[in-house]
Amino acid sequence: MSTSTPTPSVVPAKTSPGWQRKLSHLLGPLALLGPPGVWLLLLLVVPTLLILQLSFVPGIRPGQPMDGFGLGNYLNIFQPIYLQVIWRSVFFALGSTVLTLLLGFPVAYWIALMAPKRWQNLLLVGFILPLWTSSLLRAYAWITILRPTGVLNSFLSTLGLPTLDLLNRSGAVFIGMSYSFLPYMVLVLYASLEKLDRRLLEAAADLGASAPQTFWKVTVPQTLPGIAAGCLLVFIASLGDFVVPELLGGASSMTVSRLIYNQFLGATRNWGLGSSLSMVLILAVSISIALLIRYGDRDPESFS
Amino acid sequence: MNTRKPRFYPGRSPRIANTRRGFLQLSAAALSGAVLSNCARNLADVSSEDSTSGSAAADGGTLNVYSWANYHDQELLDSFQAKTGIEVIVDTYDSNETMLAKMQAGGGSAYSIIYPSDYMVTQMIEFDMLTTLDKSRLVGLENLRSQWQDPVYDPGSAHSVAAVWGTTGFVYNPDNLGTTLTGWDYFWENGGSLNRQITLLNDVREVMGGVLHSLGYSYNSEDPAEIEEAYNRLVELKPAIANFITNGWEDQVSSGDVLVSMAFSVDALSLVAENPDIEYVIPETGSSLWTDAMVIPKSAPNPDAAYEWINFLLVPENAASSVERLRFATPNEVAYDQLSDELKADTKLFPPQDLLDRCEGIAPVSEEATELYDQYWTQLTST
Repeated sequence: MSTSTPTPSVVPAKTSPGWQRKLSHLLGPLALLGPPGVWLLLLLVVPTLLILQLSFVPGIRPGQPMDGFGLGNYLNIFQPIYLQVIWRSVFFALGSTVLTLLLGFPVAYWIALMAPKRWQNLLLVGFILPLWTSSLLRAYAWITILRPTGVLNSFLSTLGLPTLDLLNRSGAVFIGMSYSFLPYMVLVLYASLEKLDRRLLEAAADLGASAPQTFWKVTVPQTLPGIAAGCLLVFIASLGDFVVPELLGGASSMTVSRLIYNQFLGATRNWGLGSSLSMVLILAVSISIALLIRYGDRDPESFS
Repeated sequence: MNTRKPRFYPGRSPRIANTRRGFLQLSAAALSGAVLSNCARNLADVSSEDSTSGSAAADGGTLNVYSWANYHDQELLDSFQAKTGIEVIVDTYDSNETMLAKMQAGGGSAYSIIYPSDYMVTQMIEFDMLTTLDKSRLVGLENLRSQWQDPVYDPGSAHSVAAVWGTTGFVYNPDNLGTTLTGWDYFWENGGSLNRQITLLNDVREVMGGVLHSLGYSYNSEDPAEIEEAYNRLVELKPAIANFITNGWEDQVSSGDVLVSMAFSVDALSLVAENPDIEYVIPETGSSLWTDAMVIPKSAPNPDAAYEWINFLLVPENAASSVERLRFATPNEVAYDQLSDELKADTKLFPPQDLLDRCEGIAPVSEEATELYDQYWTQLTST
């Protein structure tokens, strides 16, 4: 999902006066990019720089003067407890990514290749529909479903099946997160599968490949960029997710985003540590996005 | 997104392909929008809510109140508006630390009235965040019990007017638990069978202090060995803890999903009033005894309305009717006298003196101790 900035090609015309022509060329992009640029500068770049600055003031707490400079906050992150939290966040994010891929690929495959054409749009809209409600509400809905006396367990016990104890542990976080991010995965995979060159599938079949062979040697390689894009998108989103671990994860599900929240607005306020954790998270997400841009949008044909 | 040359798709009319691509572009735009808004919300979770109250504060006829949940109901706000013409907007917080962080970050500039607890009043005075009250503009201060006219957390009541007091205890359904709870010790004696079935407050000082107190130490201990001992006790209890939440346990206790929830008396007693099966117990070794006071921050945009609000709640009739509906203990002696006998005799709401003597107020601790508490709390909630 790269967004290339449309810059008009400046063709140096030898006959015209230089600077006036250049100015008029600049005016268009400036008018188009200016307002969102100012917006991004004020609401994204400046706050990020402020956090960067805070992250170099060791152990600063709210109300204290900003003096001192050092890497103390970053060294602090290497305490086992915080490494454990970071690892848990990555684990949640990776697990949700794998789950959404496993759940999402068959769905996207079916919608793109097998569903009746006139139903495709409707099916896709159906998949995006949950995104129209707040993720907070959807997390609360999962509490209602997963709690010991909740919908799921009432259903199981009417069937005479043993009940499940899912809420307030890691399993609930995986369920909640993969549910939240499944639509993203399906949409991205659909976009990729929809571009699939079916002549290659026919050719593979003509040449005697079995269905699994065709799938693994033709379909998957062609949709690899889509898979990469979907996975990175879900990974990034779940790495920063705050709502699901907070509401569904219980007492032992601290993640980086929750820890950052606690350092700024929660019970234990240490802005320095919160800032350095934020910078690490921003860095991790930036690397993921760089990977996404590098590998996510390649021409599928180069893989086939 | 797609810069490839258009290609022929077998078996598909170009018209359909066009609308499909159109749809795809639309949905991609919608998707990226959703992703971006999601990021923004995650990063600025709390500040999103003040932007709304902030805009409302520009109007002279509104009073923005930042308070705990369950201190106000619509009836109270309506009667205040009927009397003064001032519209009240209430935002709630669930811990003093959250409120302080928001005020310090500048996110609370819309609020003219806040309800910090005792030790937080002291801290906010130290941070020079509170207006010194103009006593000549306050009517009815003499109705407060003497201990709240000159409280230790704010000598002479110079910056704050006590509004609500209470205890911290446990809410549970005796039928579900199968026994009567008397205090903290039960959890360690039965820790093995309480698999993620208790919730504790999301509050460092209350939880750590509660355990310290149950061990015979002070809520305000600054002794690293004592604090560590309390921390280790809590680590031992960790498998029994479902979550650390200050609000939101009500439903879970009622349904039996959670057996015991640690709670402030205000929240607990409102649930007990609704559901007679539920009981509230103050640990017999005593609990924290807290006071939430009304203060006017220095940044208050509408201090006149804030004085009106304090005066309104100092009127004994108004305080008493709030207590009848919202079940908090009032420091207002005249209001107490006006309560129904049933409420006056409620030992959960107004505990007997010998139990109160075993309770202790939470006071600010030194910076080193605060850091120690925070460090243990982070460890406790992160493992």
